[in-house]
Amino acid sequence: MNPVLPEEAVQVADAARRAFADLGGVELARHSEIDPKQREKIVAVLSQLGLDALDPRTDPISLAAAAASCAEAGRVALPYPLAASLVRDLDGRPTVAVPNSQVRVDHADLFPQWRVGTLDGGASFVASGAGQALGTRLGPFVSSLNDLRPTEVNFGDIVCQQLLVSWTLLGALENAVSLATFHVNSRIQFGKPIATFQAVQFQLADAAVIVAGLRELAGFTLWRFSSVGEAARADVIALRLHALESARAVFRTCQQLHGAAGVCDEYDISILTRMMQPALRLPAGIEQTAELLTDAVTMDGFVGLFPLGGKV
Amino acid sequence: MDFDLGDGAADLRLRLRGLIQENFGPNFLGAFTTNPSDLEDTNNFCRLLASEGLLTLAWPKEFGGGGGSLWDQTVVREEMWAHHEPRGAQYMGLNWVGPALMAYGSDAQKAFHLPLIAAGDVIWCQGFSEPEAGSDLASLRTRAEPVGGAYGDEGWIINGQKIWTSYAGMAQWCIIAARVGGGERHEGITMFLVPMDSPGIEVRPIRSMLGPHHLNEVFFNDVFATPDSVLGEIGGGWSVIKTALAHERVGIARYARCERLLSLIGAELAPHWQDLPANLHTAWVRALVQVRVARLLAYRTVHAQERGEVPDVAASAARIAVTQCDQLVAEVLFSALDHRSLEAGSNAPLRGAVEDHWRYAQAATVASGTIEVQRMIVAKALLRGESV
Repeated sequence: MNPVLPEEAVQVADAARRAFADLGGVELARHSEIDPKQREKIVAVLSQLGLDALDPRTDPISLAAAAASCAEAGRVALPYPLAASLVRDLDGRPTVAVPNSQVRVDHADLFPQWRVGTLDGGASFVASGAGQALGTRLGPFVSSLNDLRPTEVNFGDIVCQQLLVSWTLLGALENAVSLATFHVNSRIQFGKPIATFQAVQFQLADAAVIVAGLRELAGFTLWRFSSVGEAARADVIALRLHALESARAVFRTCQQLHGAAGVCDEYDISILTRMMQPALRLPAGIEQTAELLTDAVTMDGFVGLFPLGGKV
Repeated sequence: MDFDLGDGAADLRLRLRGLIQENFGPNFLGAFTTNPSDLEDTNNFCRLLASEGLLTLAWPKEFGGGGGSLWDQTVVREEMWAHHEPRGAQYMGLNWVGPALMAYGSDAQKAFHLPLIAAGDVIWCQGFSEPEAGSDLASLRTRAEPVGGAYGDEGWIINGQKIWTSYAGMAQWCIIAARVGGGERHEGITMFLVPMDSPGIEVRPIRSMLGPHHLNEVFFNDVFATPDSVLGEIGGGWSVIKTALAHERVGIARYARCERLLSLIGAELAPHWQDLPANLHTAWVRALVQVRVARLLAYRTVHAQERGEVPDVAASAARIAVTQCDQLVAEVLFSALDHRSLEAGSNAPLRGAVEDHWRYAQAATVASGTIEVQRMIVAKALLRGESV
């Protein structure tokens, strides 16, 4: 039993953290919204980091390095589909899970072709032809892919991409708690830091415990996927569901603890909360993901101390 | 990165399940019932575990234990709690009174008490909380006055009242915190090991939704304690309490019973399980995920202990998750059972295990340190810049 990420993965992630900070950190997401071409800077940095040569499907250490790097991307709301791009095919096409009803992808314009599939394993395509981005505050870079050619996409790749997206969310939530902690320590009201109020402390503690739990679950799911591949579907959907529910609670708390600043783009918490929305809604939001998990657990079971469906 | 506890753990788990199945009927819901044979069965089971080398598996060999790993200990805790703690009240002696004796006891205390615990022959209770000292334990008022000089050369006289004392009515020994001298707060607190049949001790059961034996008031009226009954230093009791609470906070694997009941509920309600509303099914899988998270947070704490760390903050984080999970699962199971959740006893769904679980879960966020205290510990660590 060892829940700690391998040292090699930690080193890769540390390098990614420094590189993303050099790009401006969360500031890059801010600028990209105004000038989408800013996102192109990221490609060269990923190459320098060696992330464009990393294949999470080859071995557990590469998988851990990919996951930890995605967490770093999430920490700064990196405006780039890192999880999808890490799970690419030999032609360099990224892989992404999409909604059943519409092939909507975040940053779809950054690649000419994509491999897409539904999380229930029911359909998969090679897709291209990114349409106009939504351009909204919650989905600035989300657009639909229009040219779909049915093809077989390894379902394990779809599962792997979703695993990495959850790690991305983990990084964003860890930063959200850090930002809130900094804010309540420095914000003075009634003559003292608001961190001295127990109501504030309790909210912060609950958020931190949620994120700590998500990190452990993310590590466990990483291990499950590296052990059994796509047979870890239920585990990965469980992680996604927990990441979504954690995000709903933690972003809300961390914004609240910022007061009105929590919804102002001058503050990183607002950018993080907005830029993570596509990952939270695509390919499925909380309730749909819970139904997907119910189906997966019913079909595949759920690894634990006791087999499901046992008798007294 | 590896979350497999290993073949040894799997074998141990199967062995324990086999022993439980052989020695307890399907109606067993713990020792704290109105049926005296349940207590007798658990005492017999402790002796059996002792003879099999399993009762003190994780104790160091020098103290008569099996020298097993913290993970062996974790498996034992999980299996025992999942199956309604067939060690009865003795888990307290095993999980932390014993380790506290190893850390702070004199040679004579170790030689006398540890073999009794290891043999499964003794039940301990803890006299910590008082009517005016709950979460603020350091404000306790029970006093111990020395006899024959300031250091109690001829013994001690203890006066005071303890409350919420589990198993006091069945325990042979009590580890009690009392104040010595004029110190305030943590100063002067001293631990005593006192036989529960000492003259002047009166136990009054408190009726509660948890069931019999769980909660009691214990009155100490001029109770004499021998000079050698002090555990640790005079005035050094706070360190002993911290050691005890650190063990206690990770001691109960509540998530294991949650997981077992969640695994059983579908078959229990078959063939109607599939007909339940969809939101009950999603609540069930959500609960499965929460239980997994709680277990992993507990494992994180064990892993830190294994590396020699004192994971106070991690233990508090795990405790918050585990106790909330206990109550969440209770509600999910009750929702699945609907009106049948009110039934108790052997004819009730899952032979009353869900009803029993719901009642006991109500105190989960209070027992062994309230969830508010755990939140304070976590928050203060965060605000100091530590990770949680």
